[in-house]
Amino acid sequence: MDDLTREFLLESQEGLDRMERCLTDLETRPGDTELLAEIFRAVHTIKGTTGFLGFSRLESLSHAGENLLGLLREGQLAASPAIISGLLALMDALRAILRSIESTGVEGKNQTDDNVMVGRLEALQRGQASAEPVMAAAAPAKAGKPRKTRTAGQRARRTPGSPSCSPPLAEPAEAGPPANIEAAPCAAREHSPSVAGRAAAPSISERPRTLSTPSPESPAAASGTSDSTLRVDVELLNRMMNLVGELVLTRNQILQATSADTSFSPLGRRLDMVTADLRESVMKARMQPVSHVFSRFPRLVRDIALALDKRVRLEMEGQETELDKSLLEAIRDPLTHSIRNAIDHGIEKPEVRLAGGKPAEGLVRLRACHEGSHVIVEVHDDGAGMSIEKIRQKAVARQLVPQHRAEQMNERELLQLIFLPGFSTADAVTSVSGRGVGMDVVRTNVEKIGGKVEVESFAGKGTILRLRIPLTLAIIPALIVESRGQNFAVPQASLTELVHLSAGETDSRIEWLENAALYRLRGRLLPLIFLDRLLQQSPRERAAPCDIAILNAEGRCFGLVVDGLADPEEIVVKPLAAVLRAIGFYAGATILGNGEMALILNPGAIAQNAGFSLSPKADEGPREASHTGQHDFLLVATAHGRAALPLATVVRIERIPRSRIEHAGPCPVLRFEDELLPLDDSAAELPGLADDPDAQTTVVICRDGDRQVGLTVTQVLDVTGGRQLEQAGTGGIADGITLLDERVTSIVSLAAIPSLPCVEARAFSGLAEQHL
Amino acid sequence: MNHAHDKPVQEVCSVQVGDTQYGIPITHVLEILGKPATQPVPLAPYFVGGLVHYRGEVLTAVSLRRLLGIEAAKTPEDVLVVESPDGFFGLFVDAVGEVLHVSAAEHEPNPATLESRRQALFDGAWKLKDRLLVRLDPERLDPMRLAAAFPA
Repeated sequence: MDDLTREFLLESQEGLDRMERCLTDLETRPGDTELLAEIFRAVHTIKGTTGFLGFSRLESLSHAGENLLGLLREGQLAASPAIISGLLALMDALRAILRSIESTGVEGKNQTDDNVMVGRLEALQRGQASAEPVMAAAAPAKAGKPRKTRTAGQRARRTPGSPSCSPPLAEPAEAGPPANIEAAPCAAREHSPSVAGRAAAPSISERPRTLSTPSPESPAAASGTSDSTLRVDVELLNRMMNLVGELVLTRNQILQATSADTSFSPLGRRLDMVTADLRESVMKARMQPVSHVFSRFPRLVRDIALALDKRVRLEMEGQETELDKSLLEAIRDPLTHSIRNAIDHGIEKPEVRLAGGKPAEGLVRLRACHEGSHVIVEVHDDGAGMSIEKIRQKAVARQLVPQHRAEQMNERELLQLIFLPGFSTADAVTSVSGRGVGMDVVRTNVEKIGGKVEVESFAGKGTILRLRIPLTLAIIPALIVESRGQNFAVPQASLTELVHLSAGETDSRIEWLENAALYRLRGRLLPLIFLDRLLQQSPRERAAPCDIAILNAEGRCFGLVVDGLADPEEIVVKPLAAVLRAIGFYAGATILGNGEMALILNPGAIAQNAGFSLSPKADEGPREASHTGQHDFLLVATAHGRAALPLATVVRIERIPRSRIEHAGPCPVLRFEDELLPLDDSAAELPGLADDPDAQTTVVICRDGDRQVGLTVTQVLDVTGGRQLEQAGTGGIADGITLLDERVTSIVSLAAIPSLPCVEARAFSGLAEQHL
Repeated sequence: MNHAHDKPVQEVCSVQVGDTQYGIPITHVLEILGKPATQPVPLAPYFVGGLVHYRGEVLTAVSLRRLLGIEAAKTPEDVLVVESPDGFFGLFVDAVGEVLHVSAAEHEPNPATLESRRQALFDGAWKLKDRLLVRLDPERLDPMRLAAAFPA
């Protein structure tokens, strides 16, 4: 395949991806001219290029599509669902041909299907709402032929600024022949720019644009993005990443070797900075927005919903969130599975929804966001939720867990069962899902890339499936542990907590049941694995101090006993040779910041090897408060008694010396991290402290919208969950009350704290600033 | 067995392991790492001497001593980065010597009396004026092949 064809394939693929996005959007906004222009451009680009590459099937299909789109764009036809279905079918046909070109180099032959497709599009053009395929009367190839004279010159201006190719306004009724007539002058007109080359193109395109309805497009913007981007082989990026890793190590060694020499230190710092920047840039180069994957889902949702006779709206959030390209590919399948599940098992039929007091249209929300070093992708449906009882029964019926065990399991454990292979609660197997493959595949695929899957379900309200994906495969946060003088890296993704046992405790705190070592973690027995024994290293002394890394992998929880802990580190994962991969316990190797190497442990394989059955998570993760009505509060004591602060708003709690609190007029203000915060003296402590500059007071810093405010409190009591009550408040700054520990407690209203009087003042006078 | 005769004169990198000198065609030696830091791999096949860091990659290095059943070296070893058809790997040796020019005429196949394990590893020897230089075939030392040829 020559470069030109390859570029054409890539370009067309991207165009079709855009088209797909726009088409599904078009359904909700049928009159959006910008969407139409975008779709038109995608089809037009394909048509324009195919002519001189000699792909006649593509050309005739895209030509027919373009004619239809031309009418839509000019407002002569409205985008009905039938037309959208037709265009989607066209897109599939174009994709199929592109695939064929990609694999075999030729379009393949399928003239009948093409004729049917062209006929269908032409029927739509004539305003026949029927989405049924109609055999084409006019030979499509005829319409396409004059286009063969198109040349590279036309590619230069593949913007809707060249609507010369759409039929003229007068003949919406007859599509076939007008296209033919129109094509001749258009081809002649466009022949000349090919001689003048790209430079001449804009001036030429000016003319046809005035002939037709104005197009809402700026050619400059469209060409701008294509000029400023470049396709790079991922292999090259991988190589660059490796070299950067090497550079980082060399830098570390240089810094160490030259630390004594003062003339080197500024140079060293500079090298340090440049290296860090370089590393970040190379990493960034591998990132792509999740919209690359999300863009396919509107179509998927539409098709599945139609097939299942349900009404589903898809909302997508955070499409700009970026993820490493390889990971993006890896989450495509799990996400597709999850969405399918959400619609098939989650969303109810419209009549059921209406009966349940929900809108007939179900909602599937896809949300992507950053959280620390992870990207969270949530699939949220407002469907029926999962019935815990049903899961229990199915699991027993399918013999996935024994009856007695199933009866002891709590809600969270039962929800975990849906990830077992062979599990399905669907009553009937549908074409969409219900075969019992799915959730286990989702989990396996996500865990393969170092991610995690969490599920929350609320009966009658819906289900949230949360995929926690590391930012990049190449670099993962890990804890370095030490066993018999050797370093090992434990991926943070599976680490839940650490326990240190001092020399005296080791013997007494680790209990033995025959050969199984156990540790009591908050009342529960946690199985232990000794890393030195597992790896057959020279055994450690029984009484020596040790650390237990509590790991959770594939739903199994266990403690890994190691000699000691080093620092957590961001590590670059290096693959191991096949002979070492075969050992099974190692996920790779890495080179640490100090130049030493460490093997990366694979917690899943270790747990599997130790033969654990599914055991519950040791610790309940933080739950999303808003879904249950439960809120966590920081309970504090103030001069007016107990008060509660929503925990989500609390930024930090500080002991602040009295000297840092000043007064701007009547309001106390606090100097905190070079900023001034308005302070509410709810503890009424300030007057008493006024005379003593060394005295300290406890201040809770909270976030209130865009600003931060401080509250003085006499004491921080507890963090506790409460139920927000929607009743009017009691006096003072409390505008709400809540039930905390069975006691009615007032919730502090942060909005009631007056803003800084000096903020405005500062804007006008430099004097105020100096004074403060 | 016979590719020693491919070219009349060949450059080989001579290495010392125990009391014997070995030669590896220099065309297959990518780099010599002088006494690099190594990382042992618990549970690895016996012939794996450990991991070494080579240009941003983590290389699996084969220990000739372990392979031949000679007791471990008391001093840090050098590592040759060797290319094989399946990629490259490290080879622990006591010390790297000079590059020698050897001719095909000097090469003789393994003697029949050689122990079977060595028969499989060695590829004959060159008769130098004052000593013998055992020819090593990088392909046979590739960890993947060793794992198949000498299961633990």
